[in-house]
Amino acid sequence: MSRKILVADDEAHILHVVSMKLRNAGYDVVTAVDGEEALELCKSECPDLVITDYQMPYMDGLELCLAMRATEATRNIPAIMLTARGFDISPADVEAAGIRAFLAKPFSPREVLRKVEELLGAPAGVV
Amino acid sequence: MSVAGKVALPRITGSTVVLCLGAGAALAGSVLAAVALPGVWNLLAPLLCLAGLGVAWLVWFRSRQALAAVGGQLQTMAASGEINLVPPRALGSMGQVVSPLNSLLESARNQIERLKGERRELQIHARVAETEKHNAEAIIFSISDAVLVTNRYDELLLANEAAEKLLNFKLAGNQRKNVDSVLGDATLVQLIRDTRSHGRSFTRKVVEHVVAAKGDGRTFNVTLSCVMNGSDEVSGVVAVLHDVTREKEISRMKTDFVSNVSHELKTPLASIKAYIEMLVDGEAESEETRQEFYEIISTETDRLHRLIENILNISRIESGVVKVVREPISLSGVAKQVLDVSSPQAKLKNQKLVEKLAPVYYQVEADHDMIYQAVMNLVSNAVKYTPEGGTVTITVGADERRNTGFCEVSDSGLGIPADDLPRIFDKFYRVQANNKMAKGTGLGLTLVKHIVEIVHGGTLSVTSEVGKGSTFRFELPLVK
Repeated sequence: MSRKILVADDEAHILHVVSMKLRNAGYDVVTAVDGEEALELCKSECPDLVITDYQMPYMDGLELCLAMRATEATRNIPAIMLTARGFDISPADVEAAGIRAFLAKPFSPREVLRKVEELLGAPAGVV
Repeated sequence: MSVAGKVALPRITGSTVVLCLGAGAALAGSVLAAVALPGVWNLLAPLLCLAGLGVAWLVWFRSRQALAAVGGQLQTMAASGEINLVPPRALGSMGQVVSPLNSLLESARNQIERLKGERRELQIHARVAETEKHNAEAIIFSISDAVLVTNRYDELLLANEAAEKLLNFKLAGNQRKNVDSVLGDATLVQLIRDTRSHGRSFTRKVVEHVVAAKGDGRTFNVTLSCVMNGSDEVSGVVAVLHDVTREKEISRMKTDFVSNVSHELKTPLASIKAYIEMLVDGEAESEETRQEFYEIISTETDRLHRLIENILNISRIESGVVKVVREPISLSGVAKQVLDVSSPQAKLKNQKLVEKLAPVYYQVEADHDMIYQAVMNLVSNAVKYTPEGGTVTITVGADERRNTGFCEVSDSGLGIPADDLPRIFDKFYRVQANNKMAKGTGLGLTLVKHIVEIVHGGTLSVTSEVGKGSTFRFELPLVK
C-alpha cells in the first residue's frame, strides 16, 4: 500500500505541481484549498504526511498543524511547511505544531520530494 | 547799633556773628580813646569808631554774599536733585569753608554718577533677562512636544500646553509642587527622579515610554536632560516627550508591506520556478501536459507583471509622473467589461453578480484604463470578501442636477469594523479581522483612491456594516 500525502495550498498551481511531482514518484496524494478542508481530510483520510502552505484562508498552516496535534487520530502525522514567510513562526510554535521541515517559496519540487522521502522513506513499490 | 541791628535781620546767623565782631572793634576803639588819651583822642575817637564800623560792615557784607551764594547753590541742588559746585568767584573770605565743601560735593557727585551708571546697567540686564525669559517661555509653549521642567527637589517649574493635555494636569496651581503629586504617570516621575539623582553621568538620555491615553496608549521618545548650575551641580531636569506613535506605525506598515509584497511576488515566482523544473526533469510526459505547463508559466508571469505594475502605478501617481489619457468614457461600459472578467471568479464562489447600469450615453472624461483598474479592484475586493452564495451589485448612474456620474459596488460580505473604516485607503493597510478571508497587499483600495481623487478629481466614499456588507461609491463630473 502506497503512502498517502495531504497537500494543502490555496494556490491551485502550487497544489497541482506538488501533487504531480509526488504522484509521479508513486505517492497517493489528496489535496485541500484551505486549512479547514485540510483538517477535515486529515481526520477522514489519515494521511502519512501533510505538506501545507502557511498563509491560507479560514485557517492558516500553523493553526492547521496545531489543530492536528490536538486530535488523537492526527496527533502523530508529521508536517512540512511550504511558505514564503517562514520567519513569522516562532521556534516554540514550530515545536508545538510538530513541523518537521520548512521549504521556502519559491521552492524546488525536487527538494519537496527529497524531504518527503527523508521523512517517509521511498514509497512502496518504487524501491 | 541800629545799622548792625538792621543788617542782622537776614536769616544767615553767620553774618550776625561777623557784624558783631566789627561793631565790637569800633566800640573797643572809642572806649580805649576815652580812657587813655582824653585830649587828642576826643577828636579821633568818633573817626576811629566810624572806620571800625566801616570795616565791620565790609566784612559782614562779603561774608553775607559768600554765604548767600553757598545757600543759593544748596537750595538749587535740593530743588534740582543735582550736585553742582559753588562758583569760586563767590567764595571770598569763605573760601576756607567752601573749598572742602566743594571737594565733598565733587566726591558725592562722582559717587552718584557711578551709582546711576550701575543702575542703568542693571536695568538693561533686567530687561534683557526678562525678554530672554519671555522668549524661552514662548519657545517652550510653542513646541508641539510635551515639555516639563523641574528643579533640584523634583518640583514642577514649567510645563507647556502639550504636556498639560498629554499628562492631564494644569500648571496653574501646581507650580513648585512635587511631580509625584502632579503627574499620574509613575514611570515618568521615576525617570525624572533618576535623571536628577544620577546627575552628570546622565546628562542626556532618550527613553521610549508608553503614555496611557483614552483608547490606545501612545508611544513617546522621552528626552531627559539635566540642567547644571554654575558650580556644575544639577539644578533641575528638562523632560521632552516626542510622540513617535505614527512613526512606529508607518515603520510597522512598511515592514508589513515588504512582507506582503514579497509574499505576493514569491507566489507566482514559486509556480514559475516549479513548473520549469518539472519540464527540465521531464515530469510532464505528454505534449498536452507540457502545453499546460507553458500556459501556467505564462499566466503566472503576467500575474507577477500586474503586481509590479500596481506598485509602480501607486508610486507614479504619488510622485505625479503618471501619464493620463483623458477621453469621454461610459462608466456603464467600463463596469460591463469588469463584470465579464470577474464573473468566473464569482461563479466559483456561487455568488450572484447583479448589474444596474445606466444608459451608456452618460459619459465622464477620464482615463479608461485607470477607471477600469479602479472598478476592477472594487469588484475584485467585493468578490474576495463576500462568502459563498453572497451577492455583489454594481450600480452605475448619473445625477444630472449635480452633473455627476457615479459607480457603486456593494456586497453582502463581511463588512469593515468602524475602527478600521477611516484607514482602509491607507497604503498597505489591511483589515486584520478579515485578513484570513483573502490575500492582498493592502494596495488595491489605495490605488482606487489615488485614481479617483488624485488623478481625476472625483470623490470616493464607503459605508459598511460588519456582517452585512460594504458599499464603495465614486463620483466623477459628467461630460456636458
